[in-house]
Amino acid sequence: MANRAVPQRPNGQTPGKICQFKLVLLGESSVGKSSLVLRFVKGQFHEYQESTIGAAFLTQTIHLNDVAVKFEIWDTAGQERYHSLAPMYYRGAQAAIVVYDITNQDTFERAKNWVKELQRQATPGIVIALAGNKLDLNTMRSVQTDESQTYAYENGLLFMETSAKTSANVTEIFKAIAEKLPKNETTNTAGQGRRLVESEGANKSLSSCCK
Amino acid sequence: MDEEYDCIVLGTGLKECILSGMLSVSGKKVLHVDRNKYYGGESASITPLQELFQKFGVKEPDEKEHGRGRDWNVDLVPKFLMANGLLVKLLIHTGVTRYLEFKSVEGSYVYKGGKIYKVPVDQKEALSSDLMGIFEKRRFRNFLIFVQDFQENDPKTWKDVDPQRMSAYQLYTKFGLDKNTQDFTGHALALYLNDDYVNEPAANLIRRIKLYSDSLARYGKSPYLYPLYGLGELPQGFARLSAIYGGTYMLNTPVDEIVFEGSSVVGIKSGGVVAKCKQVFCDPSYIKERVKKTGQVIRCICLLNHPIPNTRDALSTQIIIPQNQVNRKSDIYVSLVSNTHQVSAQGWFIAMVSSKVETSNPELEIKPGLDLLGSIKQKFVSISDYYEPIDDGKDSKLFISKSYDATSHFETTCLDVLDIYKRATGEEFDFSKIKLESEDV
Repeated sequence: MANRAVPQRPNGQTPGKICQFKLVLLGESSVGKSSLVLRFVKGQFHEYQESTIGAAFLTQTIHLNDVAVKFEIWDTAGQERYHSLAPMYYRGAQAAIVVYDITNQDTFERAKNWVKELQRQATPGIVIALAGNKLDLNTMRSVQTDESQTYAYENGLLFMETSAKTSANVTEIFKAIAEKLPKNETTNTAGQGRRLVESEGANKSLSSCCK
Repeated sequence: MDEEYDCIVLGTGLKECILSGMLSVSGKKVLHVDRNKYYGGESASITPLQELFQKFGVKEPDEKEHGRGRDWNVDLVPKFLMANGLLVKLLIHTGVTRYLEFKSVEGSYVYKGGKIYKVPVDQKEALSSDLMGIFEKRRFRNFLIFVQDFQENDPKTWKDVDPQRMSAYQLYTKFGLDKNTQDFTGHALALYLNDDYVNEPAANLIRRIKLYSDSLARYGKSPYLYPLYGLGELPQGFARLSAIYGGTYMLNTPVDEIVFEGSSVVGIKSGGVVAKCKQVFCDPSYIKERVKKTGQVIRCICLLNHPIPNTRDALSTQIIIPQNQVNRKSDIYVSLVSNTHQVSAQGWFIAMVSSKVETSNPELEIKPGLDLLGSIKQKFVSISDYYEPIDDGKDSKLFISKSYDATSHFETTCLDVLDIYKRATGEEFDFSKIKLESEDV
């Protein structure tokens, strides 16, 4: 999925290395998965964000020194609600953010199950970050930072508490993931197929993402 | 679930998932239910391999021999996508294509007199092919040029052929094509399953040959495409589209009954709870009393540890055995996919031999196909009933899809879907309704 060719710039200028990664979001309904993405990709926040509609595929690029890390972000589109996420969702994902709501202990317990699910379904070596969202509601907190920190440490996860509302740690968590992702091409195993496009120029062969 | 929906869709086979996606995109509130815990119904790709053995009641495989079970995704219904066909159009216009990756099928072969021949991909190949004699090649070339130049909306290109009044057979006769070339053209290029088409208007035949050559022109090697990880990815992709537009998904949910009031559906009942709706869409397995059996299809999954002989070691192949070559009424199809599509472990190939059942000994019917495969490590035979709905659903508000047929590609699958959509909504599907948000920053 991730290894699409990145077009060369027409003026012959050599672009820096561009790496593309598929990142999936997981977590219970209403913990703020879509809000985190919208904040990260568009810098927006809506207090009454509707259940995910129409925007379940966004991309955003982070620059780390000479490497551009392009995230292809998959939102659950609500299919997590009745545990009906398709295997396709996990397929080829190189990173995941498992989100819970710091004011709701239950969503933290469920987040642990999502981590297990990822370890079972996803590509080995997937970079997983745990996000305790709604940090703006700190006064109503029911999940203690220590508890999550310990859990994350024991399971080898990145961990941050975030707020899509105030944007606290939102870019930071994506950046931490970007830093941890391997950026040499041999580690990208998915792909080698072609995506279908409308135009006549469909006949492009696809190479690895990293040049 | 105890809410009210515009549409409830039962079963997550490809047809139901495309419909669900189209309905959600059109602004309908959709509940999509499947009794299974996985997506895809009949159009699922079975994984891990152990599940396939269990499904057919065969002793489980040795992991040492077959590699990791999770590396396998085995289709139950073999089909390829025509590169310029309806399913590709649907995938592109709905944006579902972004969830999938495809590979071109490498080889396309046709069976003649006990041997297989590469289907010529252009006039040059046609002229060097052993399929026909030298004079026949010239006649065939003239025929191909005529089809290529033919424009349905420009009578100047028709060259004394009235495509609606002239039959396919008359068109062949006009160009002096012999029986062999007719077989080859109708079955390996126009991909007709049987010979019923020869009395239909020539326009249909021309359209289908054009579909073949336009598909071929897109990616070169063959007109066929196949998705990585198996055909089961297709329903998942359309289900995701539906979900993105607000569709609610519930797998592993048994359906006790489809609830009627008078002659029309008003909802479905599951676990004692009724979900109300205005329309129900389902595959035939959800309401046996409203479908009729009109035939059977035999499909034989074969695990091989080598490519198909005489195909230049192609990692993916289609072989068509035209009916007349083996004294049948319908063609036999052989398809092959492999590790390169992430559907089998390294070194393994999955062949599928299928046809419409014509006798009481269907396995014997497909023997000419099986004989082409060389040694077969494991065989799984299934014979599926082919069902069609007994009514068009306009009164009952219950729209039932047809079973997956024996054709080798998805054209009839899509036609059924588009037809159901039109019957249910009273209008053709409007692709312009789709404005997916996809932003590259």
